[in-house]
Amino acid sequence: MMSLEHPVSATLTPRPRVEGERAAPRWNARRRTAVWGFLLIAPMMIGYTLFFVLPFIASFLLSFTNWTLLSAPVWVGLDNYARLLRDTSFQESLQNTVALTVPNVVLRITISLFIALALNTKLKFRNFYRTLFFIPVLTMPVATATVWQWLYDPTYGPINAGLATFGIDGPSWLLQPEWTVVALLVVLLWGGVGYDMIIYLAGLQGIPRDYYEAAQLDGAGFWRQFRDITVPLLTPTIFFLLIIALINSFQVFDLVYIMTRIDTSGTTFPTLVYYIYEEGFRNFRMGYAVTLSWALLAILIVFTVVQFRLQRRWVHYE
Amino acid sequence: MTARGPSYLIKRLLLHAFLLGLGLLFILPFFWSIGTSLKPLRELFSVTPAFLPEMVRWENYVDVFDQVPFTTFYLNTIFVTIARVIGQVFIASLAGFAFARLRFPGRDLLFILLLVGLMVPEQAVIVPRFILMREFGWINTYQGLIIPLIFSSFGVFLLRQFFLTIPPDFQEAATLEGANPFQVYWQIYLPLARPALAAFGFLVTLYSWNEFLWALIVTSTQERQVLSVGLAVLQGYQTTNTAILLAAANMATIPILVIFLFFQKQLIEGISLSGLK
Repeated sequence: MMSLEHPVSATLTPRPRVEGERAAPRWNARRRTAVWGFLLIAPMMIGYTLFFVLPFIASFLLSFTNWTLLSAPVWVGLDNYARLLRDTSFQESLQNTVALTVPNVVLRITISLFIALALNTKLKFRNFYRTLFFIPVLTMPVATATVWQWLYDPTYGPINAGLATFGIDGPSWLLQPEWTVVALLVVLLWGGVGYDMIIYLAGLQGIPRDYYEAAQLDGAGFWRQFRDITVPLLTPTIFFLLIIALINSFQVFDLVYIMTRIDTSGTTFPTLVYYIYEEGFRNFRMGYAVTLSWALLAILIVFTVVQFRLQRRWVHYE
Repeated sequence: MTARGPSYLIKRLLLHAFLLGLGLLFILPFFWSIGTSLKPLRELFSVTPAFLPEMVRWENYVDVFDQVPFTTFYLNTIFVTIARVIGQVFIASLAGFAFARLRFPGRDLLFILLLVGLMVPEQAVIVPRFILMREFGWINTYQGLIIPLIFSSFGVFLLRQFFLTIPPDFQEAATLEGANPFQVYWQIYLPLARPALAAFGFLVTLYSWNEFLWALIVTSTQERQVLSVGLAVLQGYQTTNTAILLAAANMATIPILVIFLFFQKQLIEGISLSGLK
């Protein structure tokens, strides 16, 4: 793939510059640049091929096999895909993932927009507030999960203790799937809103002040300005955040692994990536794990393509 | 800016109340975590948990080191992170420069091939990547932790965008002086790109420090485990004394948190840049 057969040593030795050398054939100089180009991208392209393209192709082939790492892979044709369609565990993990993703995406991009709007004013302590929202973005998800697991503790955790002061009997957050969604959602929002806020703030900086001034002269209040200027001009940012939030919440693993596992037997709330991990690295069903990865990929591609199609209707690029 | 009547003041006040109230909710878990990590065992099991310990027990932090080789986890995390940052920044900036400023056949096609990597999540290739590590004999090694994660499409994309903003005049002048493209990259483009490299470097540091899934899969003994995995391991051992677990969680996050707050500006710049796709 890399055409490195031309020796480049000649170009490495610095030569004294001679008058008239500019007349040297341009073709040679071009070719030298091209060789350098290939040389400089070589580390990246080799690594990318080895650790990304190759695994990609391999995973396609492996999805037609059964392989437990112990013996040679056995060709099983479409068996893995057939199993995928009947697999209730897969359906459960997909349902859980979607149940987490949809509210997460919607709430994340809404809450962070309001925070960014509030911060995009000439307000005192602006940077201090921004830091407060930003801190969770920096935190290791495994550590976050450890802390929140304790906060959610049904008997000794502060959340249920707080609810108890209002006379509410708090649920076993991480044992009942219907509450686990809520519990995980809160942690995801807590950790994700600060990132979106930063992106929004960058987007808001890009909206010319005159637009608002003109609108104010026309007597437009906050909501009119928000609806007719801010939101339309932010649509590219919103679109970007939508895609990011979607991909991120489809990949949730750390939180599930730490917060919902009951000793080593499994989780009360398997997500798609958790199920891939379990099949691949606990049950060592490599062929099926790879098939699940393809399902994840296919779902993400479908979502992304749909988003890109829909964006023509609502995203305004200037 | 003349009519600053009472309604203006009320609006400001409401804005402060909204930001402060919500903002405190965002850092409350940290305070809880610090407070609880200092509690002695018997104070943990109270149905009316207090914010602060009645009796401070610093030994919880020492106990972490008795239960798991936390120093090893720390050193491994630092080493792996430094190696990944240097690797990613160097490899991505080399390629970013070449894609931005050198002409070679197939350049655009190769660049598009790289961009595909931006769309596909790591998890989709994690199983075959693990198998590759097994073939290489890289399971439970530093190279297994580091090398697969130093090739970043995102970095190439980001740095290429930045290099494109540097006027090509410098390059032309240096080339006339007889500098080869690597010298142009090393002596001119890299120094000029320092802010972008720093921003990207911080993003990689953060990602690397917090990374969990790959480290979990590719390491199998404590000599090679990093903090995130170590914390999960400790969680498996330590099911009763949450204070020790939280002490470990705090030690894994708070130092880096403090460092990052110092570099907040660069980091925010990096994140803002990442949004300009």
